[in-house]
Parts: sequence; C-alpha cells; structure tokens
Amino acid sequence: MLTKEFIGLVSNESGLSKKETEQLLTTMNAIVRENLMDGKAIQLQGLGAFEIKERKERVIVHPRTGERTIVPSKNQLVFRPVATIKDELKNI
Amino acid sequence: MAEKLSWTELRRALAKRTGVSEKTAGAFLNAVQAQLLEALKTDKQVKINGLGTFKVQAVAPRKSVNVTTGEEIIIEGYNKLAFTPEAGVRELIESQESGVKSQEADNAPVIDPIQKLGAQAEEIVDILGDLGQSPIEAPAAEPEPVVEPESAPAPEPVFIPEPKKEPEPEIIVQKPKKEKKKSHFWRDTLICVVILLLLLAGGYFFLRQELSDIIRSFMAPVETEEVVVGEPVVLVEEPAVVEEEPAAAEEVVTAEEDIRVYNDILLTEEITPGSRLAWIAKKHYGNKIYWPYLYDANKDHISHPNQIAIGTPIRVPRLTEAQMDTTSTAFLQLKQEAEEACKK
Repeated sequence: MLTKEFIGLVSNESGLSKKETEQLLTTMNAIVRENLMDGKAIQLQGLGAFEIKERKERVIVHPRTGERTIVPSKNQLVFRPVATIKDELKNI
Repeated sequence: MAEKLSWTELRRALAKRTGVSEKTAGAFLNAVQAQLLEALKTDKQVKINGLGTFKVQAVAPRKSVNVTTGEEIIIEGYNKLAFTPEAGVRELIESQESGVKSQEADNAPVIDPIQKLGAQAEEIVDILGDLGQSPIEAPAAEPEPVVEPESAPAPEPVFIPEPKKEPEPEIIVQKPKKEKKKSHFWRDTLICVVILLLLLAGGYFFLRQELSDIIRSFMAPVETEEVVVGEPVVLVEEPAVVEEEPAAAEEVVTAEEDIRVYNDILLTEEITPGSRLAWIAKKHYGNKIYWPYLYDANKDHISHPNQIAIGTPIRVPRLTEAQMDTTSTAFLQLKQEAEEACKK
C-alpha cells in the first residue's frame, strides 16, 4: 500500500480532509526525523517505537584474498513494534 | 538515547507545527495508529513517504531443541513486522549519528580504528610466525637448538631450520591432492565396473529367453535320436552353434513342421512390442478366435503363448475350409490345448 492510499484511509477514519491528513503526516514524519537526529526515540502509542541502534564496528574477511577490513560502526533506524501489534500480526 | 518523545509530546509538537488544534492532531494520530494496523493486515505492506516501509514478513517454521529435555520441537511459523527506513532517512541518520559518536569518543576512551588495524597487523604476523613462514620466526628458533627436536640431531643448527620448514608445507599441500585424485580414480573405476556388470546381467536376462527358445526349436526334431545323451549337456554345448547359424536351423524346422499340419504358409511375421497371437490372427484371418492355429504352427519355438520374445518370427499358415470351422471338435480340442498352455 502506498502513502496515498494510506492517507485516504486515515482521512476516512479521522474525518479530516485528505489535504489536512497529508500535511499532518508529512509534519509528523518531519518531527520524527528531527527528534531522531537529536538522539531521541519516538514512542508511537499502540504501534511501537522508532529508535536508533548502534551497529558495532566489525571485522570482515574477504573470502578470496583473506584480506581483513574493518567495517566502521554505524547507526540504524529501528522500529520496535509493541507486543500487541506483534501478537495481532503473528497469525494473519 | 534514553530520552523518548512521548505520544503527548508528539501530539503537541504536531499541533504547534501545523497550526491545528491538539484535538485534531490527536484524532489524526489515533487514526494513523488504527489504520496502520488495518492496512498491514490487509496489504501486508504500507509505505509512508518520508519515513519508510512497514512490512509483514513471514517467518518459516523451524526445528529446535527443548533445552531442558533435549527433545526436538518445531517452532511454528509466524509473521513479524519489519520496518525499512527510506534511503534518505537512513543516510540522514547514519551521517548524523557519526557526529554524535565523535562526541562520545571525546568523552570515553573509545578505541581508534587505526589502532585496531595495527593490532590486527600484529596478530596476522603472529599467525604467520606460528605457521613458520615468517622470516622473523626463523632467527627466534636459533638460540634454542637443544629444545627443538628437529634441529637437535642436525649438525648445522643455524641453517637447517629454514630449509626444513619450507618444504614441509609444500608436501602437506601436495599430498591431499594426490589422495583426492586417487580416491576419484577408484570411485570412477568402481562405478564403471558396476555399470558393466549391470549391462552384462541385463543382456543375459534378455537373451536367455530367446536363446532357450532357439535351442528348443532346434532340439525338438533332433531330440528323438539323442534322447539318452541328456538334455542339460546338450543345452550347455549347443548355444555356440545355435548362435552362429540360427536362421538355417529355423528354416529346416519350418520345412519339417509345415508338412505335418499346415500346407501353405501365407507369410511370417515378427512379434513386435505389444503384439499378441490373437492380434495377428485377427489381422490375417479376420477373427482372433483362430489364434490357436498360430500357436500350433509355431509351437516349436514358442513355449508359452503369452510370453513370446520380441522379434520372434511367427509363421502364419493359410487355413483350409475345415480348419476355419470353429465348431468342429478338432478345433475345440486345439483351442483347449492352447488355452491350457497359457495357464502353465
């Protein structure tokens, strides 16, 4: 499902116009991004949390040459769903 | 990272940013929450621009072991929710976080990657040294010639360690290769032998029937004279002769047999895969009821009417008026005989 369809569903549910919904959604995304940049996690009630997780640096070995290189650590955006969501989606 | 932006904070920020009331912002967020779940249930995938994609992924059932009892259990498959951030978002977070990390690096004594590389280089050198290929290791071995069993018996302890160590790894590398090749060779020959044996067995199995048929047809007329000699002996000796000239033998037989019962041979037909005597009878006489005549005419080289080797020639005799009579006692008797032959 694409964003447009999702906006349609949300506007139906909330009674807001599609335009308003779209605006709200983009703003929400912006807020989420900004807060993540500030090092904050975002808790979405009943859905889950957006967090930043650090992937530690690790050594990889080139299978052919045996060359060793270090993959530097980096950070990833992770979404951790709430237990209720997990359970609901477990058996569809 | 410990900080979390709560639901209320998000709502407030959203309302502030867009200029709508907090109530509508709350309604929107609730709608998002409800609809995202619904959409995931129906579509299994929801893409939200500016954030990423939520996807329901199936996890296949897998085997596991009960830790306490040690018995095998199957963990059933289920679905999980996966989130993939948009490329732009991902890059943004990666780039931004490196800045945060540098701050951390200032605070805590984090190990420098270059330092680690140096440590690795040392490690590699150590490993190489253990293998005995590094030049650094060789002089190290020199000061203790008595302790090493290799260098002790040698007259020149200084020079020997190096040449000795060099050839060893080569031999180790070469030996397994040879063994592998050998094992391949043996395996291949074994397979060849097995295939050959199978072919021979198959050939014998197929030829056996034909051979015995030919021998029997050849023996039938001659038998009366050499009865006492014993069948098995003749059977064993004969095959070579029969193989050389089976056609000639058959011709003789036909001449003798035909005179007795059937005067006129229409033609000779070879048994093909799927053909039967009844079939041939229908083809030439117009009725399959006459198949006993075919059996009778070819009795000499057919042991069982339903088990005739493919390629066996079948003589098709011309039937006289009397023979065509299916109600005659002679025919009925012949038919009975033929049917009994089938039951053998």
